[in-house]
Amino acid sequence: MDNKDNVNPTIINPSDLPSRRRSAPTTKRVGLFDSLAPAYPSLAEPLSSPEASEASLSDDEEAEEIDEQEVYDLISTISDPEHPLSLGSLGVVKLEDIAILPPTSARSRISTVTVLVTPTTSACSLTTVIGLGVKVRLVNALPPRFRIDVRIKPGTSSTAGEVNKQLGDKERVAAAMENKSLVNVVNQMLATCE
Amino acid sequence: MSDVQLYLLEADATDKTECKRIATQTATRLENRNLKLIDFVTSLEPHINDKDNSRIRANTVSYLADVIAALPTKVLSVQERKLLCDFILGRLEGDLEGVGASARALIALENLGKWDKTTAQKVIRAFVDNTHPLRQFKLQTERYAVVQLIDLLLAKYRDALRELHDEDDTFMPTFISYWEGEKDPRNLMILFSLLQVPMTEWDIHSHAQDMFDSVFNYFPITFKPPPDDPYGITSQDLKNRLRDCIAANSEFAPYAFPQLLDKLDSTSMNTKRDVLQAIQACITSYEANTLNLYSVTLWDALKFEILNVQEEDLAKEALKTLALIAAKFSDYGEGPLNAYLRPVIKECNEHLEDAPTKQSEAAGRILRAVASSAPLAADKLSKGVLPMMFALYSGSESITKRRGLLEAFNELTSAHIDLIQRDPSAKCEALKAFADDALNAMIRALISAPKAEVSFRIVSLAGVAQLVSALGVLSDKQIEQAVDTVTNMVLHEKVQGHGDISASAIKALSNIAKSAPQAVRDRSIPAFMVELPDVPDVQSIPTTVLEAFAQLATERQIFETVVLRLKNKLRVARHQGASLEYQQALLYAILYAFTFGDPPLEDGVIRSAYYADYAEPLIADFVKASSTGLDLVAIDVVGRVANIVLRQQSIHFQSQIYQKDLEWLSSSAAGTNPAGPQRAQLTPFLLYYYAAIRPEVVEGHDIIRLLKAQANAALGDGPSDLPRMTTLRLLSLLINKFANPKAMQTILTETGLEVESLLGAVSQPHTVQVAFAVVKGLLIQGKAGALTTRYLDALLALLSTCDKTTARQFATLLSPDDILSKQNHCLVSGLYKQKIFNQAIPSITESVRTADPQQKPAYLIALSSLLRWLPYSVLEPALASLTPPLLQTLDLADPADQEVKAAALIIFESALMHDPGTLAEHTSSLVTRVLNSTAAWANAADVRAKALQCLALAPRQLKREAVVPYRRQVVKRLLACLDDKKRTVRLEAVKCRTAWLGLDEGVEDDE
Repeated sequence: MDNKDNVNPTIINPSDLPSRRRSAPTTKRVGLFDSLAPAYPSLAEPLSSPEASEASLSDDEEAEEIDEQEVYDLISTISDPEHPLSLGSLGVVKLEDIAILPPTSARSRISTVTVLVTPTTSACSLTTVIGLGVKVRLVNALPPRFRIDVRIKPGTSSTAGEVNKQLGDKERVAAAMENKSLVNVVNQMLATCE
Repeated sequence: MSDVQLYLLEADATDKTECKRIATQTATRLENRNLKLIDFVTSLEPHINDKDNSRIRANTVSYLADVIAALPTKVLSVQERKLLCDFILGRLEGDLEGVGASARALIALENLGKWDKTTAQKVIRAFVDNTHPLRQFKLQTERYAVVQLIDLLLAKYRDALRELHDEDDTFMPTFISYWEGEKDPRNLMILFSLLQVPMTEWDIHSHAQDMFDSVFNYFPITFKPPPDDPYGITSQDLKNRLRDCIAANSEFAPYAFPQLLDKLDSTSMNTKRDVLQAIQACITSYEANTLNLYSVTLWDALKFEILNVQEEDLAKEALKTLALIAAKFSDYGEGPLNAYLRPVIKECNEHLEDAPTKQSEAAGRILRAVASSAPLAADKLSKGVLPMMFALYSGSESITKRRGLLEAFNELTSAHIDLIQRDPSAKCEALKAFADDALNAMIRALISAPKAEVSFRIVSLAGVAQLVSALGVLSDKQIEQAVDTVTNMVLHEKVQGHGDISASAIKALSNIAKSAPQAVRDRSIPAFMVELPDVPDVQSIPTTVLEAFAQLATERQIFETVVLRLKNKLRVARHQGASLEYQQALLYAILYAFTFGDPPLEDGVIRSAYYADYAEPLIADFVKASSTGLDLVAIDVVGRVANIVLRQQSIHFQSQIYQKDLEWLSSSAAGTNPAGPQRAQLTPFLLYYYAAIRPEVVEGHDIIRLLKAQANAALGDGPSDLPRMTTLRLLSLLINKFANPKAMQTILTETGLEVESLLGAVSQPHTVQVAFAVVKGLLIQGKAGALTTRYLDALLALLSTCDKTTARQFATLLSPDDILSKQNHCLVSGLYKQKIFNQAIPSITESVRTADPQQKPAYLIALSSLLRWLPYSVLEPALASLTPPLLQTLDLADPADQEVKAAALIIFESALMHDPGTLAEHTSSLVTRVLNSTAAWANAADVRAKALQCLALAPRQLKREAVVPYRRQVVKRLLACLDDKKRTVRLEAVKCRTAWLGLDEGVEDDE
């Protein structure tokens, strides 16, 4: 990676990145004084100490759907192959460029996740690798009822057409993942993911 | 045989004691005048000149050295010593055998009487001229003795040796080359030390390069001490001494800096670390006018370590180095400082133009480091950078850019804060000149920038707080402006979700309060009071305002104002009949202030006056209240406030308080005051109150009375679960703290708390709980050992017949209770966890194996309930026997057993981390059962998450070939977890699945 395309890219400050805690106004605010309220371990369940989680089998099954923020959290921590920075902080993946489309018909269970990737420069030679990294990460981390569609954001890369074709083609993605040096690069990118 | 012959026979033995004995024997004869020195020397003749056997010659010298070393002072006359000295030196001219022994002999001689100047010079000349180069002697011990001798000469005869050097210009080159090729760390340690004498004290101008090279050849030190090295020399010791040599003389600068900077390009991080440390040492000890010649060169090289960080610690060292240069020049003169700072300013300005980038961030770090070195440097940097910074700021509309610039500005402000802290009289004129611009820019950012620009607003907020902290930079009026802005944000900014920076704003305000308490008192606190009505609507209690207000108490200087205002507000609210919720919120605020705030101290403990000012009036409120109008939350909260204020006070103070309170305490405890609060309602207060009181304060019979009353309450049918739990905690506390361990059984019997009789009768759930509470108090106390053991056995015996609910009670024995702490004057044995482990765990594990299936769950539950509170180190030795029952625990299917399963999983997690070997034989069972614990239908969310965390460790911690067979199955079953309903579980599932998918790569790497 000696020939860096963009030596000094703009970096987004971590506090400006979208996060679940900041983006969604919480339904129930946790007050500062809540921890001060008198608490008694209940006798029915003496194992739960006063501060232990209130979760029990019955009341925790309120479903939390997979949403765009969750997809963002999965891929924003991938490292850029040429800068020691995350794709999120480089603005390569953005929350507003992620879309989850519900199943097209009532009989289908398949939802689609679309991710648009913005390369740091329009001539970035590693665009394909970044796209591949995002795709691999999502295929491994999302349940099989999601179809993963990773593309280059229109107008941001000079090679968008070619790259999109590669990323959209199952065979070619599979073939790419047979290439050992490519696999190593991708694994290195994904190593920083939680 | 003569002594010398005897010695020579023994000389080649490894054990030198016999040699020493013979030498001492000779020495004694010399001392007693049984042997004349001349005869002694003559007796050496045939051996010391033995032409055929060099070994014998060397050993004879060794004998001589040992004899001299064994002689007391005053045995030999001046002439005799001189004679011996000449004899030894004379030998060196013709025969180099036994050179080490010669050196030892000379050291011993010197020890018997100081040499004159000529002798010292003669000795060093004899060695440097005759034994040059030293490396010709292969034995380290021989060279070592020589190094020691010369070290001694340089330490004690500095003038003599310096004169030798001054008079003879050829001495130095020989002396330098004499040491060439030395490699032994022991010798080098002394060599590096002795060389510092000529390096720092002699005029070495014409030999500087040779001298420098002779030590720099060893740079960087790569020595690694062998394992079990008996000499204990570390590579750091060598590095330190070598560094002192390099930095010893300014004359080295022309050689040191270029060569060090050359090595800074090394690819080895350790070399770079050594280089930076050496440069720092040079900067500190070289003269400023020498350093002046290299300052810009150093800057040009060092800046790259900061602009392109390879390792964070290297960047930090480079920053420190840059600061050292500035500090050196600041005491020296403006010229060199200007010359040094000019390129620094230029570079920083260039990077600030592109802000925000990594480089502009680095520029900020450089500004911070160099400016905090000295006020003069800070002033010049500020003058050089600030005009540009604010021109860029006003010339750009980009918020991102402005944020980058303010970040750099804040670094400069921090540097000034450092300076002011070191010297409050430091002037900050250049910063002051831009303070108005900066403050206005940041206030504008806080007021009018879009709320979604979080980083920009946070930087501005921090900047405002920092400017206030830089004492003397802002005028009073500007400080008020800053305080008003931040106060306004805290009180009136209502942003939800992204853009909510209220937590930072509150923190900024408490920071401001530290530097400008008066302004906060005058302006913020009144503003807060306006927002806190006397009687708010039930719907609109200003909770956020109260929370923010309470947090101001974390600053000591305004603690008092905050709690006083809260107390008065509570008074008025009560008087005017405000809602109970509001009163409670105010009480919580007071409690928060006392718990997390920073109250002023008096003799190291919280001011005792607070008890009379805060606790007493609050207590009086509920003592007077009728039992119906009693607020149970208030009783609890007031109890905690009283506890915090009271518990550190002296016995004397506590006694006074206690005697005063005893009357209403005992009247309500006995239920004799029908108008006052009832016994059960007061229990939370009693718990915290008695926790605060020192054991010495309370009389034994008071405790017995109290225990009786509480025992009746706990054993009775009346109260619901919550007060009962408090009563049980109080029982544990009283027994632990106040009951005399020697009379424990009597006390327990008298108060109806004797455990065996509690369990003996038809045991109700209540009585079992009381029994556990009593044992808990005893167990933690650790004083009544035999009794505790007996009671514990009685509890364990329950397991053979009891239900699961009783089994779960075992968790209460060890579950942490912050009331039973040393701060509360409880007796906390250091070994109680070991005790219960040793007594209970083996018998339970045994019973799990033999118990009938129906009773087995009870044992498993009790086991996990105990283990979950034990530190891993305690249970580690028994891991092998614990693993099978813990695995069975994971099969428990009752929804009520989730906590038990979680406890078992946590233990497996630690075991996988620390002792994967022990679990290896259970791999199959472990993977299957943990995998089953991830299934959504039978497990709570936290159990599923914990199971996934546990499972994720397996591929990393267990042997590859042991886990690979499960890969396919695990990866497949985890697909279901990826679709778990709970987000936290999905997150763990992703991590876990990644870990197992990673197993595949291992195969490819091996090929």
